[in-house]
Amino acid sequence: MAEPLLQLSGVRGAYGDVQVLHDVDLIVGEGEVVVLLGANGAGKTTTLRAICGMVGTRGSIRLAGTELVGRPTEWIVRRGIAHVPQGRGIFGVLSVEDNLRVGAWGRRDARAVETDLQRWYDVFPRLAERRAQLAGGMSGGEQQMLAIARALMARPRLLLLDEPSLGLAQIITRGLFAQLEDINREESVSMLIVEQNAELALSFAHRGYVLESGTIVLSGSADEVRGNEDMRRAYLGY
Amino acid sequence: MSPNAGNPAFLLQLVSSGLTNGALFALVALAIVLVYKTTSHINLAQGEMATLGAFGVFELTRHGFPVWGAVGVALVLSFCFGAGLERGLIRPLERRGVFPVILTTLALFLIINAVVAIVWGTQPVPAPRPFPNSIQDKVDVLAGPPPFFITYVALGILALLVLVLLLLWLLLERTKLGLGYRAVAANREAAAVMGIPVGRMHMFGWGIAAALGTLTAAFVAETGGTQDFNLMGSILIFGLAAATLGGFDSVPGAAIGGLVLGLVIAVVPGVFTVIQGDMSLVIALAVMLVVLLVRPQGLFGTKTLERV
Repeated sequence: MAEPLLQLSGVRGAYGDVQVLHDVDLIVGEGEVVVLLGANGAGKTTTLRAICGMVGTRGSIRLAGTELVGRPTEWIVRRGIAHVPQGRGIFGVLSVEDNLRVGAWGRRDARAVETDLQRWYDVFPRLAERRAQLAGGMSGGEQQMLAIARALMARPRLLLLDEPSLGLAQIITRGLFAQLEDINREESVSMLIVEQNAELALSFAHRGYVLESGTIVLSGSADEVRGNEDMRRAYLGY
Repeated sequence: MSPNAGNPAFLLQLVSSGLTNGALFALVALAIVLVYKTTSHINLAQGEMATLGAFGVFELTRHGFPVWGAVGVALVLSFCFGAGLERGLIRPLERRGVFPVILTTLALFLIINAVVAIVWGTQPVPAPRPFPNSIQDKVDVLAGPPPFFITYVALGILALLVLVLLLLWLLLERTKLGLGYRAVAANREAAAVMGIPVGRMHMFGWGIAAALGTLTAAFVAETGGTQDFNLMGSILIFGLAAATLGGFDSVPGAAIGGLVLGLVIAVVPGVFTVIQGDMSLVIALAVMLVVLLVRPQGLFGTKTLERV
C-alpha cells in the first residue's frame, strides 16, 4: 500500500508539562481536503503546530514516509508543508510583494517564482493592487488572502490552514473557500483545515475528524461526520 | 552665549566636527541595531569586540600589511568572530531568557577588554592611518581669519558612513539573504514557518555588526591618533544614545540618530559658554533620557505592542 501524504499515529503534544494531545491518529491522503473540527481548547491548533514541530511532540508524524517528529520547523516546512497560522502571521512591516517572496524563500527556481507570483496576483487581484504597500495596513480579509498566497508560493504538497475564516465577513469567507477549492482541484494541493465554521468546512472537505480534549472522537467522510447525531448537536446546532 | 557664536567660520567648524563624530556614533549605533533587530538583544560587548578588531588591524600593519589590506582582513575575521560568538555562546543561552544573554555580553565586555590590555599593554600605541592625516591634509573652505577647513579624515569618515549605508541598503533590501533577515526581524516565528533558518539570520546580524564595529574602531583610532584597550569604551554609550534616539530597530534611524547626537554634542557647549568642561557624556545621557520619556520608540523605531 502506498504511504499516505500525511500520517499521524499516536501523537502526543505538550506545552511544557501540560499535555494537550493524547494519541491522535489522523491521515491526509494525496490530493485530499481534510477538516479538523472541535471545541475551543480541544487541541486543533496544537495538532497543526505539532506537525510543524512547534510544540513538544511524541509519537510519529510522517510526510510521505519521512518522519518529522524531532526535526526543527525550518526543516519540516522545506519538505513541502505550508502553514497558515491562526491570526495569519503576516510580516506587517514588509511590503505585500516581499511577504510573497518570503513564502518562496526556500525555492531555488527563481524564474518559476516570478511565474507563481504573477499567478497568485491573478487569483487575488487585491494583492496585485497593493503589492508595494506594507502588509500591516491591509484589511483582515486581504491579510488572509496574503497569508494563503504566501503559503502557496512555497509550492507545498500540503497546506495547513488554521481558522482561515476567523474575523472575516461571511461573504469573504465564502469567496475564500471557493478559491481554496479551485486550488485543491487545479494544483492538487492537499489540505488540512481547522475551522470553527463546521458547516462550510464540511461542504468543501472530503473527510473530517472531530477532536475532543486532545483525542479523536469521530472520523469519516464529510457526509458521515455531518450526519452524526452527536456532531449535529455539538457543532451544527440542529 | 559664546562671543564666537555669530561667527560663520566658528559655527561651521562646530558643525563639521559634530558631523564627523556623529558619523562614528552612527556606525556604532548601526552595529547595535543590526544585532537587536532580529535577536532583541543588546550586545554590550559590541565596543570591545571593535577594539579587538582595531588591534587586529594594528597587528597586521605591524607585520607589513598595507593599511587598507589590514582593515579588509580584520573585517572578515571580525565577521567570523561575531557569527561564531552567536552560534557558540549566545544561541545556547537564548532559551534561558534575556538576562543570561545580557549578562554574558557584559562578561564578554570585561574579558575582551582584559585580553586586549594583557596582549597589547595598557599604554596607547600609534594608530594605523587609513586616510592621509598630516596637518596639510585638509580642504580650505574659508580663508578667514578665523579659517574654516575640513580635514581629509573628516571627509573620509562621512563618505564611509554613506558607503556603509548604501551597502547595507543593497544587502538588506535587494538580496534574498536580506529578505530572510528582514522577515526574521518582522516576525520570528512566522519566518521559521516559512522555512527561513532563523538561527543563521541571527549569526548573520552578529557577523555584520562585528565587522561594522571593527571598521568604526579603525577610524575612531585614526581621529585620536593613538589607540589603547579603552578605545571604544565611551563611544559605546554614544552609540547606545544614538540608537535610542533613532529607534532601536531602524537602520536609517541609527544613522540619523548618530549625526544629530554628534551635532548636539558639538554645537551646544560651543555656543553656550555657561557649560564648562567636557559635557558630551552628560548630553548623550540627557538625550537618551528625554527620548525614553517623550518617545520611547525613538524617531524612526516601531512601537512594540504588548499584548496583555
